[in-house]
Amino acid sequence: MSVDPREAVATGTAAPAIADLAAQAGRPVHRASLWRDAWRRYLQNRGAVIAGAVFLLFVLFCLIWPFVTPYDIRSDPVNFQQSYEGPSVKHPLGTDQLGKDLLTKLALGGRISIAIGVGATLAILLIGVVYGSISGFAGGRLDNAQMRLLDALYGLPYLPFAIIVLAIIGENNLWTMVIALSIASWFTAARIVRGQIITLKENDYVRAAKAVGARWYRILSRHLLPNTLGVLIIAIFLELPGVILGEAFLSFIGLGISPPDASLGSLAQEGRAVYRVHPNVIAIPSIAIAVLVLCANFIADGMRDALDPRTRETKEH
Amino acid sequence: MAILEVKDLRTHFFTREGVVKAVDGISFTVEAGKTLGIVGESGCGKSVTALSLMGLIPKPPARIVEGSVNFLGRDLTTFSERQLEDVRGREMAMIFQDPMTSLNPTLRIKTQITEVLDRHYGYSKDDAVRRAVELLEEVQIPRAAERLRDYPHRFSGGMRQRVMIAIALACSPKLLIADEPTTALDVTVQAEILDLLEELRREHEMGMMIITHDMGVVAETADEVAVMYAGQIVEQAETQELFDRPEHPYTEALLGALPQLEGENVREGRLRSIPGRPPDLIAPPPGCRFAPRCPHANLQDGCVDQLPELRPIRPGHLVRSRHPAGERQMVPA
Repeated sequence: MSVDPREAVATGTAAPAIADLAAQAGRPVHRASLWRDAWRRYLQNRGAVIAGAVFLLFVLFCLIWPFVTPYDIRSDPVNFQQSYEGPSVKHPLGTDQLGKDLLTKLALGGRISIAIGVGATLAILLIGVVYGSISGFAGGRLDNAQMRLLDALYGLPYLPFAIIVLAIIGENNLWTMVIALSIASWFTAARIVRGQIITLKENDYVRAAKAVGARWYRILSRHLLPNTLGVLIIAIFLELPGVILGEAFLSFIGLGISPPDASLGSLAQEGRAVYRVHPNVIAIPSIAIAVLVLCANFIADGMRDALDPRTRETKEH
Repeated sequence: MAILEVKDLRTHFFTREGVVKAVDGISFTVEAGKTLGIVGESGCGKSVTALSLMGLIPKPPARIVEGSVNFLGRDLTTFSERQLEDVRGREMAMIFQDPMTSLNPTLRIKTQITEVLDRHYGYSKDDAVRRAVELLEEVQIPRAAERLRDYPHRFSGGMRQRVMIAIALACSPKLLIADEPTTALDVTVQAEILDLLEELRREHEMGMMIITHDMGVVAETADEVAVMYAGQIVEQAETQELFDRPEHPYTEALLGALPQLEGENVREGRLRSIPGRPPDLIAPPPGCRFAPRCPHANLQDGCVDQLPELRPIRPGHLVRSRHPAGERQMVPA
């Protein structure tokens, strides 16, 4: 009985019942969803699209290249004959002191840097969402206490705080880096979430949910947190560059990832000693860091325009 | 049988400027299968009354300082938040003024209806969806099963209010409180929603409270009407009686402010407005609260310094005034 009137008209078959037509009337042909709209707006931002593509390519390169390359950084024999070679067909980015392929090292270092960046960002969001939503939702005295604590923590300088946390843990690997960096920088995320929750909880649908007997955790998880998703996605790409830079800095001064593992920061550290003679060794990881950070910033910008159209400054065409 | 008995309810807001006596000693009952209309202008305390019954007033600053809300034999004012949560949506449900904002824009209609069924009955997913389809059909939404998958933005205002009604009815409550259910809707849609509410009330044998500032809505739906002014009930009677023989000067003024198209003695000329403004509820006038705006108030009768009692002027007709229309001839002007 459910004849699609559009189809029926096109094929010239049975005329649709009036009731069906009426039922279809209020219904646009294209289903527009929030995400499809956001995606369309994101595509309009050329910088963000390019940044997203570059970011994605670099991540793919880091993930795939170590499987493709003929070189194995760990087990290849040390070969001082070819130390500090310039770029060639065999070694597109040249070699390091031990004669190992820099392109492969870049991919491995990039893996660690991105893993720490993504891991720490997710940890920041987790802490921020829990802390911020409790604060914003509870309100009153608890909120006040939590915010004063946050104010105090804000006063701590970011990197020294992370260094102290690392010193307390006493071990430098991927996981301790994630912990140190996230503990030192979840404050902004918590504030963003708290602000959102406070605005959202005044909505009529929250009162309506209460009026049907919904409990607080249901209201928080079902009605409030999903509405903060847009802001959270923007926050991910806003936090990411800071974390990647922080990790690079710590590794560069020798407090981060320790050998045999290497991140982009520790690769740059290796090149520091010979930067006058062989500038490519320090330049390659440094450029990679800069590109990652820039891309993340551009992506965050595009995401904000796409997901929160009210705050956008550029005009829609 | 009375399902709801409110006695001397007082809800006050404790603000920095002082205590706002938003609801100041109101009493009424709602019978099973009957509709009580509560009318009054903005800020007279009608919505706070409804929220007090549901236990949804924002605390702090608000608090029920006195009175009892006897609902199905239990005093809700003594209930904990946990106990109230079990009553809300199950035995007492509410629909709100603005259907455009009362549905969560990020959740499908299905989720928002089944939420209630899951919360109160612990229905399985399939059962809940089946019941949700029934509910949407009951509130006359076409292609119910299909529309369950839609998000609220795909519904018009009237359709959303129908969804809100479906959610309110999900657990077959004994009492339905409708807080300005039609104020945000088109006039044509208003009538449909009121008809629907009326029909559902009859089918489910619910008690209903309709809160509105619109005398027309009350005339159409209510069996009994309570007129509120400045946190108090000033007149209460059966609907027909109230419209035929209004006693309180405020009720008269409200009816005088309505346009009339037909009837025995159609008024001529412009609509009359009520001079002045409603009193400040932090420091209400010590006497009759309507006295400053009342054409019949005078100093000799204590209108200004003594609060008149809510007294029966006829069986079933209560009025809080020294000069109800029925006694006015005896008073020298």
